[in-house]
Amino acid sequence: MARPGDVLKRVVLGRPMSSGELGHTLLPKGIALPVFASDALSSMAYATQEILLVLALVGVSALSLVVPLSLAVAVLLAIVIVSYRQIVRAYPGGGGAYVVAYENLGFTAGLAVGAALLLDYILTVSVSITAGGDAIVSAMPGLKEHKVGLTLALIGLVTLANLRGSKESGRIFAVPTYGFVVAIYVLIITGFVKCVGGCPQAESAGEHLEPEAALTLLLLLRAFAAGTTALTGVEAIAEGVPVFRFPQSKNAAATLGILGVLSISMFIGVSWLTDHTNVVYTEEATRTVMAQVAHAIFGGGFMFYVIQTLTALILILAANTAYTGFPVLASILAKDKMMPNQFKSRGDRLVFSNGIVILAVSAALLVVIFDANLNALIQLYLVGVFLSFTLAQFGTVMRWRRTREPGWQKSAAINAFGGSVTGVVLGVVVVTKFKQPGEFAGAWIIIVATPIVMYLMRSVYKHYTYVADQLAHPERKPLDRRPGNAHFVILVPKVDAAAARAVGYARSTRSADISAVTFDAANHAPWRRLAPDIPLKTLTGKKHDSLLANLRERRAALPRNDFLTVVTPEVLAGEGWYEIIRHPGLHRLKAKLVREPDIQVLDIPLVAADIDPVADQAHEPGRNHVIVLISAVHNAVLEAVEYAETMRPTDIRAVSFGLEPEETERLGDRWLEARVPHPLEIEESPYRDLGESVSRYIKRFSPDGVNRVVTVVIPEFIVSKQRHQILHGHTALIVKKRLLFENGVVVVSVPYHL
Amino acid sequence: MAFLGDLLEKLARPPQELRAEHLREWAASVPGAIPIADAESRCSCKLAGVIQNVRIDPREGTGSIEATIFDGTGLLVVKWLGRQKLSGIRLGAGLILEGTVGEGRSKQLQVLNPEYQLLPAPEHG
Repeated sequence: MARPGDVLKRVVLGRPMSSGELGHTLLPKGIALPVFASDALSSMAYATQEILLVLALVGVSALSLVVPLSLAVAVLLAIVIVSYRQIVRAYPGGGGAYVVAYENLGFTAGLAVGAALLLDYILTVSVSITAGGDAIVSAMPGLKEHKVGLTLALIGLVTLANLRGSKESGRIFAVPTYGFVVAIYVLIITGFVKCVGGCPQAESAGEHLEPEAALTLLLLLRAFAAGTTALTGVEAIAEGVPVFRFPQSKNAAATLGILGVLSISMFIGVSWLTDHTNVVYTEEATRTVMAQVAHAIFGGGFMFYVIQTLTALILILAANTAYTGFPVLASILAKDKMMPNQFKSRGDRLVFSNGIVILAVSAALLVVIFDANLNALIQLYLVGVFLSFTLAQFGTVMRWRRTREPGWQKSAAINAFGGSVTGVVLGVVVVTKFKQPGEFAGAWIIIVATPIVMYLMRSVYKHYTYVADQLAHPERKPLDRRPGNAHFVILVPKVDAAAARAVGYARSTRSADISAVTFDAANHAPWRRLAPDIPLKTLTGKKHDSLLANLRERRAALPRNDFLTVVTPEVLAGEGWYEIIRHPGLHRLKAKLVREPDIQVLDIPLVAADIDPVADQAHEPGRNHVIVLISAVHNAVLEAVEYAETMRPTDIRAVSFGLEPEETERLGDRWLEARVPHPLEIEESPYRDLGESVSRYIKRFSPDGVNRVVTVVIPEFIVSKQRHQILHGHTALIVKKRLLFENGVVVVSVPYHL
Repeated sequence: MAFLGDLLEKLARPPQELRAEHLREWAASVPGAIPIADAESRCSCKLAGVIQNVRIDPREGTGSIEATIFDGTGLLVVKWLGRQKLSGIRLGAGLILEGTVGEGRSKQLQVLNPEYQLLPAPEHG
């Protein structure tokens, strides 16, 4: 029976999907195009406008340069698309520019592109949704006060649609995207027809502009750079190849081609119309260039409003491209150890939910910080994209030189040329956006943020590689097969049913050394009745400190091969979050204990309702089934297995849940190599819900806590620097939380110190 | 009101049930295979299912491998003795086998060293 929270989740997100359904979530070209193209096409909506803004500095006469400049941008766009088609074919695993840079230009280049793209995706969401919000406010000026709230609400909606799955969100967004394309073509064709006798003039035609600058090469470059905003969005397809239907590379390449044709034709068409309707655009203008052209061609009629609506919609949808690109890129970076593992896992709907959520939160933060000011946000925009364009193309050149496929020289030349041009644009963008007076010179934020993100990614990488080294390090391998002894110290806050179970459990391991400690001397009398054979010591002084001191003393006196386990029994009044947070002191103590080197913590929770007053008299469970949770075979796991052996259980096995099917054989082989004389079970977890899967598996043993107990041994990584802890351990936490209220289940953490 | 009740019931249905249904359909499409729920001890049958659990036991003599398959109607343990390497037996793969059904641990239906065929994961959903 599902819990009410589950039903709500089901209504909002749809039913959970099993891993076997991944193939069904892949996108056919028809849906992939609107998902990825919306960014590229929407930037086309304001690219012409950006060129005009720069040209206007020279005066009205320079405005006709918009057409040749657009042609130049179109040529660059074509080159970049050709480059990316090759990238997509060479790297079908996705990751596009990042993988190219990493493999061909080195680790730092990969780091740079990864960081730049991540930041850029976040900006894409902020910019496009803010632009969409602006469009809505233009239609309904009363909402101006609430622009930030409106923008955040829009972010929320798009996030939700994406959490349901790319295919679903793609279907929703296909209509406005295709609608926009059709509408623009209608605009262009109608424009050509109407221009036969002489083009209708825009409302701003004939306006006078004060020349503020001379027509220099630098100015032309600035105008060209402004127009290159039309290129943003192309890289997303290369990042997102894994979401295409098979054959993935071919479909992605085809989609790029279609995008190129559409983009270029629409861009040149609109620029031509802009020139011939003599639009004069300044920052003070109320109507955008697109709106002015549409108004000139269609009058104030129905089509005009259609175009405005679709433009607003596609600006919002441009964010959707980022919602597909960012999570896939984050998962690839996580696989390469540059981002936390959490970004690798797919959620209920088989999308990378963690990536989606982080993207949404970051974009929302930016919107709040910049107060939904589009102009401020746009300044940050181009740097990341053009950095990745440049590195990707030069990376491809290096690849040609390496692989020397037939015809490589021509391809390499094209890529080198394209890379140089985007490099120049990058330079121009950086310089101009630093220096422009009066405008928000915000590009420096990105230029500072990118290296910071690079540094963070590098630390994550260094940490994970250090961990992998430690886990495989031959010197830290547990000593071969010499059984150590188990020593138990039972913590006795109160002599109750849980303490009785702890005694029974410890005794069942046949350990020669079981003792107990308490902070309350009053426990001595009841303890003597419960377990006269187990010595109880009262500790004085500050609780946690004296306990730790006592334990450390004992541990130091023991041989290295032995294990010292602290048993923490607790009675829980009921099941629920409240119980978990009710005893913060105990949790703090457990957390401290887990961080102690060479001390295991064994938790015996007992829900009051499960207490059997007759049976719960320090009864030794006749059956103790031990399962060691593993996901790989390494030193931490081997140590956990050794520990499990000291419990003298009825049986031991290692169990792995939710492994990728391809990994099944590898895990099996590694297990055999390690020569562990215990069975390994690999159990499926098709909905990737580890807690549930473990719980279901345990039920087979029918633990009752009195006669039959299941002990779950979990190897936990304890890192030396607190801040690294966030990169690990969420698995242990999930399992512990899920099993806390299960009767007859005991959880032990075997910490492995890194 | 009844419609709302039905809708809520459908939403509350655990996804495992839907999956079991799809697996039943898939298994039924395998020519000659009978549902695991219909298999009796000592029958020599053809059965099909998806591998949900793989167990490697390096202890028993020269080792053994077990795969537990599910076809939407029941569970069956397929055991190979004298074998350690998995070679293609993996989670999610489809398994079609012919052999004599017996009883293994805890009265679980089991087939020893059958003739078998591995298939790529049957996609459901």
